[in-house]
Amino acid sequence: MLKFAVTDLKQSMASWRLWMLLGWIEIRQRYARSRLGPFWLTISMGVVIASIGVVYGTLFGQKMSDYLPYLAASLVSWGMFASTVQEGSTAYISNAAYIRQVATAKLIYVLQVPWRNLIILAHNFVIILLLLAIFGVPSWATLPLFIPGLVILTLNATWMAMLTGLFSARFRDLPQIIASLVQVAFYVTPIMYRPEALTRFSFLVRLNPLTYLLDVVRQPLLGQVPSMQTYVLTIGMAIVGWLLALTVTSRYLKRISYWI
Amino acid sequence: MAFIELKGVTLDLPIYEVHGRSLKRQLAQLGRRNAIAEGNDGVVIVRALSDVSVRFESGQRIGLIGHNGAGKSTILRVMAGIYAPTAGEVAREGKVVPLLDISLGMDDNSTGLQNIRLRGLLLGMTDSELKAKQQEIADFCELGDYLDLPIRTYSSGMRVRLAFAISTAVDAEILLLDEVMGVGDASFMHKAQARLADLHRRAEIVVLAMHSNAEIRRTCDTVLWMDHGGVRMFGPTEEIVSAYEAYVSA
Repeated sequence: MLKFAVTDLKQSMASWRLWMLLGWIEIRQRYARSRLGPFWLTISMGVVIASIGVVYGTLFGQKMSDYLPYLAASLVSWGMFASTVQEGSTAYISNAAYIRQVATAKLIYVLQVPWRNLIILAHNFVIILLLLAIFGVPSWATLPLFIPGLVILTLNATWMAMLTGLFSARFRDLPQIIASLVQVAFYVTPIMYRPEALTRFSFLVRLNPLTYLLDVVRQPLLGQVPSMQTYVLTIGMAIVGWLLALTVTSRYLKRISYWI
Repeated sequence: MAFIELKGVTLDLPIYEVHGRSLKRQLAQLGRRNAIAEGNDGVVIVRALSDVSVRFESGQRIGLIGHNGAGKSTILRVMAGIYAPTAGEVAREGKVVPLLDISLGMDDNSTGLQNIRLRGLLLGMTDSELKAKQQEIADFCELGDYLDLPIRTYSSGMRVRLAFAISTAVDAEILLLDEVMGVGDASFMHKAQARLADLHRRAEIVVLAMHSNAEIRRTCDTVLWMDHGGVRMFGPTEEIVSAYEAYVSA
């Protein structure tokens, strides 16, 4: 049942040079001829964090030294997750020219998406480092946990990108639907506000898997150790999600070149 | 030994209208009884190949002939593994390199050298192969310093030269070509012919789709005449091309 997709995945992993290159090309294209290049990402993210930080930090009555690092860690990880899922929906569509010409493994077009967004995350990470430098590192001991957290987040974002890419190739209004879903998710997920702050509709936070997905990455940066429940949930989600995504991909892998 | 074998290959190409692909349409259909009648207006299915069975052996040079829309390009895509057949089987051994539309699949904002890498990787070259061949590709296309400029600045002729140079640098066991002869200016054309001939020599099987009967006679030993997605005739070049010419002029 999984056979086709697993073979494809293996071949895709083997041609890592290709998808890494494709990922870079996108970034290069977006910032072609600008002097600062991809560091515009850092700047625009910095501006967003500063303005949201000042306005909402005041509205929520938060201490800036706590709120700004929280907001930065949340927005940067959310950015990685959201753009991977969203850009995943055009993974096959925008590479139609390649797909119709050469019979490469198909998942390379998906894998380039998380890779590209990890590069972007690395650029944005400068802001987090800066804020940690200004306000002090809450705890050095928890920092290394950021790495496994990021791996879990990336794995989850990737299976979602696999699914959105596949279905969007067939149903062309899906990219728009996904874009609005991601927008809604941004508001119901504790990114700008703290999970505890939503007192009346706390189920929105508790039952929202994205809360845990963000926690697993941002908490280590903020001096907290993610709970066992967070790890179990997010890792479980990654396993189930990958199995689902590979099954569906196996089923429709051969149809992709007809759809695009 | 390289070979390609098609056994009863049938290929239905779905043509999606803008409506046909939308989720709205699909959902709207759920409630209706007569789904087939309604469904037909969204997705048109074209039978591009019907029950094609052929076997190409190592050493063969096969020419594909037939009028436009006879299925020549489609059969090349099936042999390349880009389209999976709706029914039937494709068996294949050997590294397949398809050169279907040589000007597609390049990135406009990347430089010539970056495109050599991109296209080389797409065609399945390894990193070491690329390093070894980069210089040779650069020499062949004669673009010199232009290789450091983004290819959006290239003229269409320069672009084709580059694409041609990269594509033909790949070592293929099975080479699939679709009308790639119209390359660049006269002097380059001459060079390109020589290079193609060399490429043909290195490959074990060459399948080429062409409209020039003279060219087919010169390069191929076997010809497959396609007609309406099926095999009309398959056999030695002279016999088939003569029959085809007689049919066309009739």
